[in-house]
Amino acid sequence: MRSSAIVFLAAFIALSASWAGFVLAPQLQLGRAPLEKSLGTETLYPVARPGLAAQGAEVYTALGCVYCHSQQVGQDGVRCDIVLSEPGTNVLATLAALRSVDENLGKPETLANLPKVIKTVATVAAADAIVKPLRETGAKAGVKIVPTGSDISRGWGRRRTVAQDYAYDLPVQLGTRRAGPDLADVGARQPDIEWHLRHLYDPKSEVKDSTMPPYRFLFEERPAGKSDPADVLALPAGAAPAGKEIVKTDAARALAAYLVSLRTTDVPLQEAPFTPPPAPPAAPATNSAAQ
Amino acid sequence: MTDQPQTAISAGPEAEPTVTTTTVPMWLIVGTLVLLFLSAWYFDLHGAWFHAKVYPPYTSWANVNEFQPGDGGPDPNKGRPLYESNCALCHNSDGSGKPGQAPPLAGSEWVVTTGVNRLIRIPQVGLTGPIKVKGQDYNNLPSMAGMGATYTDEQLADVLNYIRNSWGNKAPFVTPEQVKKVRTDLGGRSQPYTPDELMKLPE
Repeated sequence: MRSSAIVFLAAFIALSASWAGFVLAPQLQLGRAPLEKSLGTETLYPVARPGLAAQGAEVYTALGCVYCHSQQVGQDGVRCDIVLSEPGTNVLATLAALRSVDENLGKPETLANLPKVIKTVATVAAADAIVKPLRETGAKAGVKIVPTGSDISRGWGRRRTVAQDYAYDLPVQLGTRRAGPDLADVGARQPDIEWHLRHLYDPKSEVKDSTMPPYRFLFEERPAGKSDPADVLALPAGAAPAGKEIVKTDAARALAAYLVSLRTTDVPLQEAPFTPPPAPPAAPATNSAAQ
Repeated sequence: MTDQPQTAISAGPEAEPTVTTTTVPMWLIVGTLVLLFLSAWYFDLHGAWFHAKVYPPYTSWANVNEFQPGDGGPDPNKGRPLYESNCALCHNSDGSGKPGQAPPLAGSEWVVTTGVNRLIRIPQVGLTGPIKVKGQDYNNLPSMAGMGATYTDEQLADVLNYIRNSWGNKAPFVTPEQVKKVRTDLGGRSQPYTPDELMKLPE
């Protein structure tokens, strides 16, 4: 074969080009990216998971949760809502300002049932241009940046996930299949650790149509009344075998701590901006990562 | 059996493949170039040139920045609580002033001004002496106390923005930097200004 050197060289260039493009370049670009503050705060995001949740990530990996659950939320678009929350004392001036935006808005009905979204526009600049004259009349108005998309309308998160969300994950378990719901923001949907434990023991008891297999080997059956009540899984009457009680293992507790630590809901980032809810509820007493 | 295998065999020696040079058809080259051009064009529009912080649905860094939350500009109502708890005692909640206590702020030529150099000094150190507001003389009013030491630059700017943009007043916003500059200009002065003294200052 006369051209073996050329074949070798061509194969080498092809393989190293794809390695440079798929491995080296992302590592240089994202692997060294510094953590950034979440929008409007002074806190870096994310913070490393505390001990129990970090162990839970290993349980998650070991059990292969990634084969049925993804941890990536997509986003198709973004819109800006103008929210009017108070008409102010000078209602006529407010109505006049509204009328200059849109003839149909300048009606008294607009001021009923506040706060509400009075108009949706494409960019923040366009929204600010409407909000400013409104505010000058004494009305309280604001701009709400709302990401949109099918994942988001399912309630799987308020924004798309970005590289920074996984800064402390090794391995990053994006997942490719969604036999179950996406878990990138599960800690915000269901912040109750006990719920997760009951759900792991018997998924159908919490979600009627769940197809998830029960993970009962994460729990131990022990004679009733012998264990610390804090270790016993609170189940509805008759759910535990007669004369027995269900005791949580460390693995179960760690996995549940990991699940509630998965949350992106209250963290707007520069690359994935949105307006978080005005008064976030008090953080649950968990090992949550995004506090 | 059909003839087909036979033809294949009989075609044997004559059909020995040989290597010859042949030109690549022009349409293939042009087609490839057009495809390359179109994909490069699409990439340029949507790809953000591999920017690390641009994810779909955003198409460029400038596009991402169009959606950064703004503060909607300064809010004239921010200073309202401060006004209600301090200034409104004499100037009234609707800025109309109170007889024998303070002149009106609504429509006052002292409040609705283009330059704010004089206005900022009034809440800082106070005002005393006869003053003419909206064509009316106010002679025997108690002097106004200075509040510059109690409140921050931001708070004073907020309250000035409130009185300059309420009750029909409309004037440009005052920034905390402007208040800070006047504070520096005042030095340690705590003596209230008189209207005549203020009029001598640049607007």
